[in-house]
Parts: sequence; C-alpha cells; structure tokens
Amino acid sequence: MRWRSVLVEAIAVAAAAIFVAVVFNAARPVGGLPLIARTPYQVLVPCPEPGGPVQPLPPTDPELAADRTFLVDARPADDFTRHHLPGAVHLPYDWLDPVPEDRLQQLVEAIATSRATRVVVYGDGGRPDSGEHLGREISGRGIKNVFFVSGGASALFGVEQP
Amino acid sequence: MSAARTAAWLAVPARWYLGILFIGACLHKIADPHSFAVDIATYDILPLILVNLAAVTLPWIELAAGAMLLVGWRARTASLLITGMMAVFLAALAVALARGLDMSCGCFASQGAEEDPISHLTILRDLWWLGLALFVLFFDQGLAGIDHRFQRSNK
Repeated sequence: MRWRSVLVEAIAVAAAAIFVAVVFNAARPVGGLPLIARTPYQVLVPCPEPGGPVQPLPPTDPELAADRTFLVDARPADDFTRHHLPGAVHLPYDWLDPVPEDRLQQLVEAIATSRATRVVVYGDGGRPDSGEHLGREISGRGIKNVFFVSGGASALFGVEQP
Repeated sequence: MSAARTAAWLAVPARWYLGILFIGACLHKIADPHSFAVDIATYDILPLILVNLAAVTLPWIELAAGAMLLVGWRARTASLLITGMMAVFLAALAVALARGLDMSCGCFASQGAEEDPISHLTILRDLWWLGLALFVLFFDQGLAGIDHRFQRSNK
C-alpha cells in the first residue's frame, strides 16, 4: 500500500490548486476577492425562534380570573397603567428590542415559584400579537401550560389598539 | 471475477459520478467567489481572515479533484482530497444544524435558505458522497482511466 505517496500527492495537488486559484483570482479583471477579508460579511440568517408552544384562550374564559392563573401583560407601560387585569405582571414586549434576558428570567422564576398551574399572556391583540410572542418566549424557557388571550387587550377591555 | 476486481469496476462509475458532481459544484464558486465567501461566512465557523482565502482556493481544489476522478488520473489521490473536504463540509453542516441556523448549504449555486435549506437530509446526502469517496479511495484500481491506460495506477 502506498498511502504515504497518496497523501503526499494529495498535498501537492492541493498546493498546486491553491497556487492556480490565487493567480487566477489576482488576474481576473472583475470579481476577484482580496485574500484577506477586512470587513465582516453582512450575513442574513433568520434567528431560530427560541419559543415554545402556546395555546389561544378566549377572552371570556373564566380561567382568566382563577387563582391558579398567572397573568402577564405584554403591552407598553402606558396601556398597562390605563387598565390591566387584576394581579397581572407587566413585561412589555417590544418588536424592535428583545425582552431583556434578566427580566424574562425573573418572570420565569416568579412563575416557577408561584402556585399557578397555567400562564395567560395578553398583548395588544394585533397581528402579530405581542401577547402570543411573549408567551412563546416564556414557554421556550420550560414553562408549561402557556396561553395567550385571543384578540388581546382589545378583546378583553373592548378598546381599539393602534 | 474476484471481489476486488468487481469493487474496482464499481469504483469507476462512482468515480465518474463524484467527478461530475464536484466539477459541477465548483463552477459557480469560481465564477462568483464573493457569493461563496458569503456562504462560508454564514456558517460562522472560520475566522474572518480565512473566509476569502477559503472562498478563492476551495473551488479549485474541488475542480482539480473532480477532473482527476473523471479522467482517472491519480483517482485515489483525488478521492482522498474529496474525503477530506467532505469531512470538513459535514462538520460545518453539523455545527450549523446544531446551532439551529436556517440557511442554505452553499454546496452548489448560491441559493437562499428558503430554496435550499440545510437539514438532516443534507447530512445524509453528504454522508453518501463521503461513502462513495471512501469506496473509490479503497477500491479504485484506475480502471477505465488514464492511469490504467499508461499502467500507472496508484494501486
């Protein structure tokens, strides 16, 4: 067996190919690349959504007022101040800024240490719905039985969302 | 016909298949190295200073190996090169999948993630090609190739 010679030949072929590649790249009138990249490439890779499963809940569901329900309000602070369900914890979901990891973790710990058996998140009720997306983030961190209110605050309080 | 001889003849179409495959795969990368560099950068594995170097040189190694397999010149050398490249590609794919990246493989024409997304099927496909390259590496005797014609097989 001449494995050693095969390996040596492979290295030689690779070296020759690299030499031709570098010469060809330098000689091509257009489209050549600088061999050392200086600025990072702008790659657009959709980030995997870290979310977990959530289920819709009708705004009239009596479980919304149950003791074992952990309520989360995903709307902006102004809307939360104006009206919110009693006992709801406020964690605004912003489409442009991700929810701070420490605040999300605090919320998850609060849910985990509570005696709640289900989590209900409500948002602005738009499409997409901030409540549903915050619910997915909570569910994605290991919390089970996460629901979002169908129609969000619009359906709950009868107010039109912008 | 002995088993080794049968395997040697089976290695011939495997060689041709891999040769055509790798020549086909390298053409768009040679024509448009910038797109290939973006594909490499998307994997986010190589440091930035190596991205362009890989984008410029890798397709030419693919071309050399593919042409050698196709014409049957130093086929085992070429299949060793392809085995090494496939091992690297597989490792990069596995890392990208483990990270959950929703991206294109970049193996052939540059496509978006929606048209040619990486998946476990991509891994299986590359494993098949790796298997073929190993088969040629171990069983090729240079039949129906330049080496055989000039009695200069690697074996």
